[in-house]
Amino acid sequence: MTAGSLRRPVFVCGLGETGAVPEDPRSIPEMVLAAVQAAYRDAGCTQADVDAVVTASVDLLDGLTASNIAITEVVDAVMKPETRIAADGLAAALHAAAQIAAGSYDTVLVVAHCKASMADYQALTRWALDPIYLQPLGVDFLACAGLQAMALAEDDPGAERRWAQIAAARRSCGSSAFSGLCDVDRILVSPLVAAPLRAGMCAPLGDAACAVVLTAQAPARSAAIAVRMAGLGWDLERHSLGDRHLRSWDGLKRAFERACGTAGIEPTAGGFELAEPSCLYPHEEELFARATGIDAATPLSPEGGLFPGTAPIVAGLSRLAAAARRMRQGRAERALAHGAWGPAGQGQAVAVLEARA
Amino acid sequence: MNPVAVIGTGQTRHARARDDASQPDLVREAAARAIEDAGIRARDIDAVVIANMELFEGRAWPELWVGEAAFAAGKPCLKVATGGTSGTSGCIAGFHQVASGLFDIVLVVGFEKHSEGHTQTGMTLTDPYWDRAVASGAVGNFALSVSQYMADRGVTELQAALVAVKARRNAVRNPHAHLQMPGITVEEVLASRLLAHPLRLLDMCPQSDGACAIVVAAGERARKLHPRPAWVRAAATRHEQPYIGDIDRRLVTMRTLRDAAREAYADAGIREPLKELDVAEIYEPVSYAELAWYEALGFCAEGEAGRLIEDGVTEMDGELPVNPSGGVLSTNPVGASGVIRVAEAALQIHGRGGARQVEGARTALATGYGVYAWADVIVLADRP
Repeated sequence: MTAGSLRRPVFVCGLGETGAVPEDPRSIPEMVLAAVQAAYRDAGCTQADVDAVVTASVDLLDGLTASNIAITEVVDAVMKPETRIAADGLAAALHAAAQIAAGSYDTVLVVAHCKASMADYQALTRWALDPIYLQPLGVDFLACAGLQAMALAEDDPGAERRWAQIAAARRSCGSSAFSGLCDVDRILVSPLVAAPLRAGMCAPLGDAACAVVLTAQAPARSAAIAVRMAGLGWDLERHSLGDRHLRSWDGLKRAFERACGTAGIEPTAGGFELAEPSCLYPHEEELFARATGIDAATPLSPEGGLFPGTAPIVAGLSRLAAAARRMRQGRAERALAHGAWGPAGQGQAVAVLEARA
Repeated sequence: MNPVAVIGTGQTRHARARDDASQPDLVREAAARAIEDAGIRARDIDAVVIANMELFEGRAWPELWVGEAAFAAGKPCLKVATGGTSGTSGCIAGFHQVASGLFDIVLVVGFEKHSEGHTQTGMTLTDPYWDRAVASGAVGNFALSVSQYMADRGVTELQAALVAVKARRNAVRNPHAHLQMPGITVEEVLASRLLAHPLRLLDMCPQSDGACAIVVAAGERARKLHPRPAWVRAAATRHEQPYIGDIDRRLVTMRTLRDAAREAYADAGIREPLKELDVAEIYEPVSYAELAWYEALGFCAEGEAGRLIEDGVTEMDGELPVNPSGGVLSTNPVGASGVIRVAEAALQIHGRGGARQVEGARTALATGYGVYAWADVIVLADRP
């Protein structure tokens, strides 16, 4: 067997989410416990069925070194193997799938959490940037997204209105605990937050926890549609924006090609009946389309994606959950879930999901 | 797990402050040496795993900045962070990614640059309501656990000092080791500054700047690329809950390490670890912990760890040399410390340990210890 294909199948068998809200009054362990219990209920399993745990969290956002320490008990990692992937939650799910494919564990719980309400998220993202050349400039992930949007808008006078339309359209098809704008004209006069991005264009960030149970065995319930993680791909782009092609997400293109390679399919839009991209800003949907070829011709974020509101770290894993839910309803046979982290999408993660009745 | 092996190792010069190198510089130094040692080129690497505890440097998502230095630009790269076990967990993540069939060759790099942060502040991770006032940081926590261990097992300060001396004397043979204390004596250890009873300065690990990398390869590739791959025979992890009062005598019991070792030995077919292991690189953040680990790892019966060190069983010329590298007591860049354990164990299998080589080493143990008794146990051998 050559590198690039999974040695064992991996199925998505349990989904649990708190849903994103501007400020969740619960503690992080309470939120995580709610998501984990929901995932167990959905999978029809208990903690005793889980062999290992992969968590996703970032210490600086939690204000706690080894931030998984606060949730060790509620994810039931006591006396179990746990791995923390300090990136987007979808990346944690991809690693968990690799653990199962390796034959090391049969069932793995994946958990992502973040409470953006506890601190100024964008201010903290400055501490991820090169402290010699970038951090002194005072830029954060939002400013980096603005610079990328500016590069795209340079010779495209219609871009801003189009982006406002994307944000409004996505937001109006999803229910949300956030008060986001759904009116294009109001979005276009909302405050500039990182020119040309306006407040009304951005996905609002809040608190959420998400849990997914992955397993080597297809779910036993005969009526259920099994969702398989058929393709896995991730990528790290160069750090400095000056070293990248800002008008494309080359990292996503590579991650997409790897994921399709694992799944044994051509890296083209054809064959995908659903895509759940992790786009915090509308110009990122266009970058997503350029990288994957998946555009409006394919059902994209039918519940609004991240635009109704999301939480950092949780975003990508919630996309996996959203896609899998829809596939279980028989509404897509092949879907793509996407996660991203870092400045202007430096880190990229892709899962190709396939449904089997 | 499908067959995977370590085919290359590389580490930096470790020191209290590597003012000559940035964090990416340290990562590149270790990564480049591992690639050279494996006899491959950077473009042969399919994916990279980075291990680091970012709050020790006051950073977030450090892989975003140091990834290019780890040859990860345009490649799959993830960061693993689980406290002191970050390095061993990072290595195990690399094993899993290769064994999954996704990749043929994965580079794992662990690094820490303590001199650019404040480690004790970073280690204020106990529960803010219940435990923080009484035990934060390494010293306070170990003082409590070690006191219980001494009371329960009758271990003496002198026996712990023997461990401290063994580590630093072994470190003299290791050109990478941070602390170089030739001629260190038991008397010096016992006269060193008392930090928190019973722990003295020379009982504790240092804080180091440094990085370490290993190259992990899938079965067929490993055979083609290396004359003597260090095969991963077993890798087990156990995590523990954080509350001091909820674990009965944590260091005495050490149920995580005990349970992980039981699983790893079973997977590797080891029944009598003292006889069947040729060398061990164990994560001993404090001298007394090494004694406790002897018991948890089954090197001796409960209460006999003191005798083991007194009889020289774990010295370089003993039945089972423990930490020929000088261990964590001599070198401790936290995110790298676990990778160093695996790299040093692999080096012994490769037969490239230089002055610290254990003659004829065929089976080696590496362990990780992190946060509150989190444990990793890895067995490497010259056969798959």
